[in-house]
Amino acid sequence: MPGYVQVNSKVVQVPVAPGREVLARRGAMLAYTGQVTFRPVTAAQGISGMLGRVVAGETVKQMVAEGSGQVFYGHLGLHLTVIDLTPGESLQVEADRLLCHDASLTSSVHFLGQQGGIRGAVRGAVSGQGLFTTQLAGDGSAVVLAHGGAIGLQVTPGRVVAVDPQAYVGHRGQLSVDVTAKVGWREAVGRGSGEAIQLRVQGQGVVYVQASEQKF
Amino acid sequence: MARFRKNGSRIVEVDLAGESVKSLAGAMIAYEGEISFKKAGFGGGEGIRGAIKRKATGESLDLMECTGTGTVYFAHDATEIELVPLASETLQVESSSLLALDSGLKTNVTFTGLRGASAGQGLFTTTVSGNGVVAVLSDGPAISLEVAPQYPLVVDPDAYVASKGQLTQSFVTDVSWRSAIGKGSGEAFSLRFDGSGVVLIQPAER
Repeated sequence: MPGYVQVNSKVVQVPVAPGREVLARRGAMLAYTGQVTFRPVTAAQGISGMLGRVVAGETVKQMVAEGSGQVFYGHLGLHLTVIDLTPGESLQVEADRLLCHDASLTSSVHFLGQQGGIRGAVRGAVSGQGLFTTQLAGDGSAVVLAHGGAIGLQVTPGRVVAVDPQAYVGHRGQLSVDVTAKVGWREAVGRGSGEAIQLRVQGQGVVYVQASEQKF
Repeated sequence: MARFRKNGSRIVEVDLAGESVKSLAGAMIAYEGEISFKKAGFGGGEGIRGAIKRKATGESLDLMECTGTGTVYFAHDATEIELVPLASETLQVESSSLLALDSGLKTNVTFTGLRGASAGQGLFTTTVSGNGVVAVLSDGPAISLEVAPQYPLVVDPDAYVASKGQLTQSFVTDVSWRSAIGKGSGEAFSLRFDGSGVVLIQPAER
């Protein structure tokens, strides 16, 4: 479903029509034309989905835009990246960094370090890196926020990409993400390089990285 | 030698083939290949004397060394990046504006005179010399201004990022009774460059 127009690097124009509602971060609407109403929603994926979100701390309040018209979205002057998904494709993005997406996309909560099992989860929690992500799947578009703009890095089998957890925005495709901690004696004595915790991304797809190590 | 390349205006990519590159600690956002990160030696590889000098002058420089084969992506707080190639030249740069540099380049602390006193940047600045590329941070796109013997340049110390060439710095004050009673224009202190070279300034005042 095309139709998302980037007005400039920080504002996106999204068409809304009956049967084509748009979910967005609450308060991110800048302006709209036409007959559009905004209604707060709590992520409705059943009890387990809700629970998952609360546990994961991925509770960014959302609103749905209904009616027909054009809505302009933006948030904190952050750069935007529009990602179009085709059926069968999925995008994982940190909930904090999701600006808006078609309501036709199904969303669920995932944990990035699944491959690491419990140890991965503990590591994620200990490092204070919010590694729980929202997964979007289906046919539609999504807009993600990035401080300083995001670049997409291609990942192919045999070409592993490592990402700083603070610069990680999201990823799409068949990728597995591992949290690796290279904590040695240097970190222990406070002489670490500042790159002890990394996300190792492998498989086939694209990982999005922002030009900053700032979370918001 | 490590190859530097910009990806957009805020990310710099460095290709390494077994060499190393020094960067601001923690500025790596992603990498491909086999790269290891290590805090650059005591005093950023300047030896014990260098480290003591940095401690004493407050021009702290927190560098790490990235070694291996692959590509490293660096960025810092979404600020714009300028690549400055050096060919047996010396670049003067604020330590807070340094993002990455070829590991073959030498860094040092030098006395800059009275400039820093007003800008709160201390009386010392970092110099980078040798052959290689330096990635410099600037808050907004930087512009480089040419200085020639007949065209001296005056800049705001808060907007100054780096300078290169045969330049002498002097300090210009324009303090009058207006500044004294708080009605100054806000441009009482300036930095004057004479000689020939290039000065890099950013469109923001620290």
